[in-house]
Amino acid sequence: MIDAILASALTLSVPLVFAALGGAIHRQAGVVNIGLEAHMITGAFIGALLSGWTGSWIVGTIAGVVAGAITGGIMSLLITRLHGNEIIVGLGFNIVTFGVIGYLLRSVFGVSGTLQPEGLERLPSLVIPGVADVPVLGAIVSGKDPLFWLAILAVPVLVWLFAHTRWGLRLRATGASEPASASLGLRTAGIRDGAGIIAGALAALGGVALSLGTVGLFNENMTAGRGYVALAAFYFGRSRPLPTALACLLFGFFDALQIRIQTSGGFSADIVSTLPYVAVVVVLAITGIRQYARSSRKIA
Amino acid sequence: MSVTATHTAPVEPEPTDPGAGRMTRLLEAVRNVAVHAGVPVLLALVIGGIVLAATGANPFAVYGRLATEAFGSPSRINATLAATTPILFTGIAAAFAYRAGAFTVGVEGSFVLGGLTASVIGSQMGGVPGPIAIVVTLAAAVLAGGLVALVPALLRSLWNVDEVVTTLMFNFIVAGLAGWLVQSFFLAPGQANSSTEYVAESAELPPLAPPGQTNVGLIVALLVLVGYFLWMRYTTIGYEFRAVGSAPRFSTAQGLRVRTVIATGLIGAGLIGGLGGGAHALGVVHRYSEGFSASFGFTGIAIALLARFNPIGILVGAILFGALNAAGATVQLFINLPVQLIDILEGTVMIFAVATFVLPRFLTRRRRLQRGGAA
Repeated sequence: MIDAILASALTLSVPLVFAALGGAIHRQAGVVNIGLEAHMITGAFIGALLSGWTGSWIVGTIAGVVAGAITGGIMSLLITRLHGNEIIVGLGFNIVTFGVIGYLLRSVFGVSGTLQPEGLERLPSLVIPGVADVPVLGAIVSGKDPLFWLAILAVPVLVWLFAHTRWGLRLRATGASEPASASLGLRTAGIRDGAGIIAGALAALGGVALSLGTVGLFNENMTAGRGYVALAAFYFGRSRPLPTALACLLFGFFDALQIRIQTSGGFSADIVSTLPYVAVVVVLAITGIRQYARSSRKIA
Repeated sequence: MSVTATHTAPVEPEPTDPGAGRMTRLLEAVRNVAVHAGVPVLLALVIGGIVLAATGANPFAVYGRLATEAFGSPSRINATLAATTPILFTGIAAAFAYRAGAFTVGVEGSFVLGGLTASVIGSQMGGVPGPIAIVVTLAAAVLAGGLVALVPALLRSLWNVDEVVTTLMFNFIVAGLAGWLVQSFFLAPGQANSSTEYVAESAELPPLAPPGQTNVGLIVALLVLVGYFLWMRYTTIGYEFRAVGSAPRFSTAQGLRVRTVIATGLIGAGLIGGLGGGAHALGVVHRYSEGFSASFGFTGIAIALLARFNPIGILVGAILFGALNAAGATVQLFINLPVQLIDILEGTVMIFAVATFVLPRFLTRRRRLQRGGAA
């Protein structure tokens, strides 16, 4: 029982981790990315499509990531160059992307909502001999797909990138104060575009993890608000990689628990689904009140 | 990292020249709105046209068909006005908050909870005389809508907590809450999908031109629109709304009631959104079921931005989107056109409504030189 819940919590967290880390990067650069949902569904769609055409999960994954980078770049240009409000552009971008994919599914592929490309190759699951039979540990580390391990790897890499590279410093400087960074000669719009492209690519990788990892087909509702949960996660983790990933794990655990409880009956999945969002409001409230208290002390 | 608060409206309100006469001022406002709204709408049509052409459809034929389906006959106009009603409410709600510089995306949540409340209370109104049933039910819906906005409003006005994210989160919280409430308490017996019982006949809003769906809700929405206009133009707090919305720091320095204004803006948007949900429940669908709101709250955002908070602009924008929704629903029956085209158009309008189109630098410089030479 606990094995199964842990294993499925980890699996369910992978798409969230990618999307949330992407959002965290973008947030560090000073942009709240509401379009994660759009980039995820793009990655899931293109990934499934290309994996189906070529019969290779590697090609599918790469194509999905590239598509996400493109949508992330377009969305970022609308924000940085045309000065569109990031929230409205993000919401609008989600609506347009889901519209385009839904439209294509019906007019080109002739299906209503679900696409099962023939010859689609799913992500391989890596069974680790020896560990696979160990209780709990086996369920946690064995039989996972490559993206699971990539998600784990991404956290320390991102911590290092933020702290020790020129890119990380410039990114954070842009987010902390755009005018100050610009006065130092940083091309802040360009830095933000870069962050937007990475955010799109990472979120799309999360989408690939859904379509090629978990289920092996594409459904137009398969992201099911995960982009917004990812948003909740990086707010919860205050855009730092490790806390953000841990928040994803927590939300993934809720999700797994809710699926488990739902099948055995009794508890409401609807209420559990609101927990990430309630958590964000609470976190925002606490940080906001703290900050307010601090700044009013300073004035006094 | 700090939590940032959005202090200014997402777009500049349409400027009005105080020195001009009333008639020229009105014309000026209409011209401004037309310019601001024309570009996004045109771009949306172009992008939609590209998608259409890429999939082998003739954009002009499709747009022509959409126009006929929206306005081609009295019954189609009726359908368009019915589709206009809910988004007229959400558009006014969004504009109300934005004018005060409070940037809510939570009207969707208010609309949903207002609709659920109206459905539940309306279903208990059997035997109560019509006007009383309707007023009581709508009042409850209004309160429910305001309740959704209460926490973000308090957080924002008391401690400066960013209202954009909290209101967005409350949409999801309300969606989950509504699903749970319906599933565990208000499920109509014998229903496969989760929906409440139908409201009592006495609580239904009467249709204006039966058998069409346009109902008294449209009149209520128009009254709210007039109220919005009067509030902004002739009341003291309305004046403060405009001041705080365009210059929050200056307003603080001037001793305007910035906190009150922002809380009023957010809660007011919730109240209006709740009324919209209630009117939609009583007038059109007569019960709450999953998918009650077809993203009406988000369409309202697009309308408010397109109109730059101008009342006439809001009405025109609501009719435009209402026409799209009504026509989109029937057009797919006649020509094999996925209804998602409407989402593409709507989302594009939303994006470009907040984009600023700057003339290339050499053009602006030349224009400045010309102007300088003439003076």
